[in-house]
Amino acid sequence: MAEPSYPAGAHDYASDAEELNRLEAAMDETPRGAVIVSAVAVGLLLFGWLFLYFFVFLPRGTVG
Amino acid sequence: MATAARPVMAAPPRQGAAAGLQVSRLVVAHIWVAIAAFAVACLLGVWQMWARSPIPAPAHTAANYFRSVTLHGVSMAFVLTTFFIMGFGYYVAETSLKRPLPSLRLAWGAFALGILGTLMAALSVISGNASVLYTFYPPLTATPWFYNGLVLVVVASWIWCILMIVAMRDWRRANNGRPVPLVMYATVANAVMWLWTTLGVAAELLFQVIPAAFGLNGMVDVGLSRTLFSWTLHAIVYFWLFPSYIAFYTMFPRAAGGRLYSDTMGRLAFILFLLYSLPVGLHHLMMDPEHSNGFKFLQTFLTALVSVPTLLTIFTITASAEIAGRMRGGKGLFGWIAALPWDRPMVLATGLAFVMLFWGGGGGLINMSYGMNSMVHNTSWVTAHFHLIFGGTVVIMYQAICYAIWPSLTGRDFAHTRPLRLQLWLWFIGMMVMTLPWHFLGLQGQWRRVAAFDYSNPLIHSWGPWVIVSLVGGIVLAVSALLFVFNLAMLHRSGIAGAPATIEYAEAVHPPEHVPASLNGFGLWNILVALMLLLAYGWPIAQFFVDPPPQAMVHKLSS
Amino acid sequence: MAINESAILKSELRWAMIVGGIVAIILIAILYAAIAMHVNPPSNREYVDPKTLHLSAEFTEANLGTRVDPDGHIVARVIATQFEFVPNCFVLPANRDVTIRLTSPDVIHGILVTGTNVNTMVVPGYVAQVHTMFTKTGDLLMPCHEFCGLGHSQMLATVRVVPPGQFHPGPDGRIACGDRR
Repeated sequence: MAEPSYPAGAHDYASDAEELNRLEAAMDETPRGAVIVSAVAVGLLLFGWLFLYFFVFLPRGTVG
Repeated sequence: MATAARPVMAAPPRQGAAAGLQVSRLVVAHIWVAIAAFAVACLLGVWQMWARSPIPAPAHTAANYFRSVTLHGVSMAFVLTTFFIMGFGYYVAETSLKRPLPSLRLAWGAFALGILGTLMAALSVISGNASVLYTFYPPLTATPWFYNGLVLVVVASWIWCILMIVAMRDWRRANNGRPVPLVMYATVANAVMWLWTTLGVAAELLFQVIPAAFGLNGMVDVGLSRTLFSWTLHAIVYFWLFPSYIAFYTMFPRAAGGRLYSDTMGRLAFILFLLYSLPVGLHHLMMDPEHSNGFKFLQTFLTALVSVPTLLTIFTITASAEIAGRMRGGKGLFGWIAALPWDRPMVLATGLAFVMLFWGGGGGLINMSYGMNSMVHNTSWVTAHFHLIFGGTVVIMYQAICYAIWPSLTGRDFAHTRPLRLQLWLWFIGMMVMTLPWHFLGLQGQWRRVAAFDYSNPLIHSWGPWVIVSLVGGIVLAVSALLFVFNLAMLHRSGIAGAPATIEYAEAVHPPEHVPASLNGFGLWNILVALMLLLAYGWPIAQFFVDPPPQAMVHKLSS
Repeated sequence: MAINESAILKSELRWAMIVGGIVAIILIAILYAAIAMHVNPPSNREYVDPKTLHLSAEFTEANLGTRVDPDGHIVARVIATQFEFVPNCFVLPANRDVTIRLTSPDVIHGILVTGTNVNTMVVPGYVAQVHTMFTKTGDLLMPCHEFCGLGHSQMLATVRVVPPGQFHPGPDGRIACGDRR
């Protein structure tokens, strides 16, 4: 039985009440995981930028 | 509000394929035009990379190369995008506002105008009289048919903008005080932004380039034309990006089985894009002599601000993913990641888009960094950046959007999602393999828009293997593009019948019953846009009239 | 974490502060590079008429290439035109302040010098100017990096950076790639 490719109209939960219960449980922990993932990602971006700044850009000399 | 209950509204009635959307043929037509241009451009791109590599390529002349680059750029940057955005916009308007378009006839008229313009521009390029690339910098001047074709496409898009704005205005009048659905609010924000965006290139074409193309001017102020074009050149990428971010906020959370973390943040993100995508174009002219360090730094600062809505989006969408993963049983700090339904194309595409956003966005942070731009300007680093962020993040979401809406447009659902996911993975892998070497080569000094490299030079010779790696990435992309066409085309004939004729957009954890007027309209924001444009572009443009520089001679191309 | 909307917005605000901090670090680093390390974009708004370059005092053919000016400044003057640089090789010393001045009589060109921060557009009507100091010696590539027509791919010059001890201009202050001194 093929699952619809995108739940247009299909719901993942048997009832609105079940969805709300799961949502409330999920919101207990959210956004702890998201903060860490986002902070790591953006931290890596900053690290990459600073790496290029100090090790490629500045050593290439003054211009103006 | 302590609870997050769904507002009490009747669910949209399921419609069989027979009922259908008023706009389905309109939307399908627009998107097939976009995809046709996209597929042709992908194949041209592969040939271009072959030509640049040490491996001999057929029909390899400079004339063919620059004809191809122009056609590739115009197809991807102007045709794919404009037609997709228009089609998707009509779809959003009907499915989210649940009313017919203000004028279906005008929409079809705009479509016809856009087709005519596309044909004029494309045929001009193919004939060899318009090898000016999609940035068409004067004093290089093409045949007027090229520019007039592009003008018609832009005018068609303006008609779309007006239809979007009127649709939202009519809905608000009929639904006094209720918040415009986020998906439509963002779509109209894009329309408003596009109207502001096109002013720059419209002025450049109307007053400088087209008169020159017709032979009415023998001289052109090149600094002014570059500056007017830069007004459009940055903001246009946000025009392209809006549908993808719209999918992040209004389609991904639903596809993942969860909720959008915050509707308010969604509105704010799109408003910030409207505000800050325009007064930043000078960062494309960082290496130009005609602007002072003062204005270049001001626009660097504003560009740093336009990175903010993306950085906010990263968090909001990741939090939404966390909600969905936890609702599906994911535990601990990271269990939610594996718990997400990665077998759903929209979810997979969003994840892959974010990986490409990391690399593409990172490259962009380097590009905008004032003096640091000298490290990368007009090198393959820039090519890498925009292929990754536009070709990667934005276009993979266009593909996912197509997969999401195609069932409701055709009345058929996909029997298997494996070919869809395969296509998305190939797009991601191809894009990463193609673009990552370009970053490295760009830092070594590999410059842009080269029809053939002299591989007898030792430095250039060392680039050869990496150019071939990029070529392999490009071939993978072309395979993915063909699979994408195939996947969508198949649904017109086969697939599971009886798909619902609409889509359900994501709900927020707290669906708003009321939002402040500033988050439900654009009056205040338009004023701020005007003020910021005055601040950022006022003198940079006025200087060309107050203190006119010597003009350059118009240089007409001949085939 | 709580479920209500104000808690959600507060978490977003906290994230926005982190974002603001990162953006601030980048902007401060940029300002530092500009002010303390003198790395700025080439923003020399100086006009020259492209139609009469060959008649101008500065960009006549005889004055192109590297010259030590009477005031001691080492300046390389180059014309970018479809589809070559004139001269297509010029000499500069390492570890000295040098200036490169370029202009175009026809269309937009641009240059970079591989391995350095030297990068500028060459826009007809303007004299593009870059001050720099080369730290490494050797023959560096200086391609035209902005599309200027069908011959763009072949438009390439060489910047020959020599140790200061080997930089010997003639009595008129000029030095060219082919000189043997």
